[in-house]
Amino acid sequence: MNSITLKDLTADTIVASSRERGEPGWLTERRREAWQFFAQAGPPEWRRTNLSGLQPEGLTLSASGSVSVSWDPALAAQGVVLKPLHEALASHEALIKARLDTAVAPLEHKFSALRAALWNDGALLFVPKNVAAETPIHVRYSLPAGSRTSFPRTLAIVEDNAQVTLIEEFACADQPARVLAAPVSEIFAGPGSQVRFISVQRWGDGVYHIGGQKVLLERDAALEWTSIALGATVQHIEAETTLKGDGSRVNWLGATFASGTQLLLTAPWLRHIGHHAESFMEFKTVVNDTGYSVFDGMIKIEHESTATSTRLEEHALHLSPRARNDSIPGLKIDTNSVLKGGHASTSGDVDEEQLFYMQARGISKTEAKRMIVMGFFSPALDSLPLEALRGELEAMIEAKI
Amino acid sequence: MSNDLVIKDLRARIDDKEILKGVNLTVRGGTIHAIMGPNGSGKSTLANIIAGHPGYEVTGGEIWYKDQNILELEPDERSKLGLFLAFQYPVAVPGVTVANFLRAAINAHRAEAGKDPKETAIPVAEFRKQLREGMKILEMDESFARRYLNEGFSGGEKKRLEILQMTMLKPSMAVMDETDSGLDIDALRIVADGVNRLAGPHMAALVITHYQRLLNYIKPQFVSVMMDGRIVRDGGPELALELEEKGYDWLREELAA
Repeated sequence: MNSITLKDLTADTIVASSRERGEPGWLTERRREAWQFFAQAGPPEWRRTNLSGLQPEGLTLSASGSVSVSWDPALAAQGVVLKPLHEALASHEALIKARLDTAVAPLEHKFSALRAALWNDGALLFVPKNVAAETPIHVRYSLPAGSRTSFPRTLAIVEDNAQVTLIEEFACADQPARVLAAPVSEIFAGPGSQVRFISVQRWGDGVYHIGGQKVLLERDAALEWTSIALGATVQHIEAETTLKGDGSRVNWLGATFASGTQLLLTAPWLRHIGHHAESFMEFKTVVNDTGYSVFDGMIKIEHESTATSTRLEEHALHLSPRARNDSIPGLKIDTNSVLKGGHASTSGDVDEEQLFYMQARGISKTEAKRMIVMGFFSPALDSLPLEALRGELEAMIEAKI
Repeated sequence: MSNDLVIKDLRARIDDKEILKGVNLTVRGGTIHAIMGPNGSGKSTLANIIAGHPGYEVTGGEIWYKDQNILELEPDERSKLGLFLAFQYPVAVPGVTVANFLRAAINAHRAEAGKDPKETAIPVAEFRKQLREGMKILEMDESFARRYLNEGFSGGEKKRLEILQMTMLKPSMAVMDETDSGLDIDALRIVADGVNRLAGPHMAALVITHYQRLLNYIKPQFVSVMMDGRIVRDGGPELALELEEKGYDWLREELAA
């Protein structure tokens, strides 16, 4: 599909290239259907995400993205599977067919359909029943030189009572031209499983990241999710933890830093379906220069759930008077049975008293500010399982202060 | 180079309210000097202005220390000159551990122009040793070092941490702002012992207090009384006892006469 732009595509070319890659018929059909939805749908009505600079129709399609993985191969002996999604189609077709596109709905809006029609790269992670994968699995998506689009996919299936730590990272250098990155991450956490999921968006300038992420928790499954957003020109991430199973729980931490002219939007949802499920979300946002961040968080408690405990918090720190943060926490309750529910958000400048206290001990204002920002982000940073990654992210944060 | 802290005709206000109305005071190097005074007399304002709090507007006067008018220096530069303020209300900084904060402060003091900060930084083992020793003297649990700075600390813990910082930064002039407030007798004794251990030829202490109580533990050579934004009387330790006995009204009446 070299040097083909988005506007050259038709349902027929989508079908032809799927067949050319030897994909199973059901996938070819799904791609065709998604493409038709995309072709007919109007642009999404997002009030805060400005896509006027993107013009996706003119973007050249890349033959493939670039995924690299690092993990302890000893995990394979325990039955853990980690492979490029295309390769996995040959070995795990039934599993992929049953799960792919079932968590993040493909026919929601123009971009979700585009992602389903064009995904071209990705990783399958499978952790079998009762297996505890002790070392982190790191999946890194980058951008080959000259690429203008990237449609990566992460599909993780964690079976009953299994344990795993998955780091999903999006990284590239600053881009000379606009790039559309539209990834989807779907994680299925089986009964009693324990999942740590670290998602890191640290693309360079020029990237428009329009992502969908969902983790589905079965009975007694526990999730620790850390969402980090530092890069890209524009980010629009719709994310959800679905607490489907009884007794499932999530602790969700976020760290977003919008500087320069970045617009970084995250819409994290906590959706309660099961009984006695517990959720906690704490997102931290720092804005600098004329950066703009949006926290569009939501707690949705469905009518069938009972005895839910939930709390959502967002705290924002302003380093510049021209930077902006919109916090729109919401709470939608369709049941009469909620144990505990609440949300809070705060927003403010770096505290003068903190700066003075630290300066009074000899620490320069610049260093004090740096320490305050790092301290502000510490819940998310402390949750990172890899020291090297933490160091890289701290350096990025430091450069943005 | 003069180790005296010399305050000349210092005037300051916050918003539109004049708080210091011409303070004249000399704290001699290596001495313990107490400032007593009723609430609202300007004692804490004076302490904060010595340290460089940005919330006050200095409208006149000078503060000299080590041959510099320190009013021209940033708070961190004053600290590196050897000044230390033990805060009345220490500030919480979430996410910054006590150990990391102390190390950053010590390294800032050790930094030298033109040298790589890595070169002048305190070696980790040496830092740990100093920290352990300091905490032991102040009867602090080792887990303290891993807690976030002043976050959720009791009044006594906050004041002990102030003294720990003083112990590790080794200032030559320490200003203690109402260090006794909010302390029970045991904590007061530990804090006072910490100050007494350091005060002497290498460290002068300017002890600001409302009550005589603290001065039973920290013995000043000089006592000054502050009222309505001015130093109104200077004397020796006997002045503190006189105030304890007669209260401040006696002095107020005498000054009015």
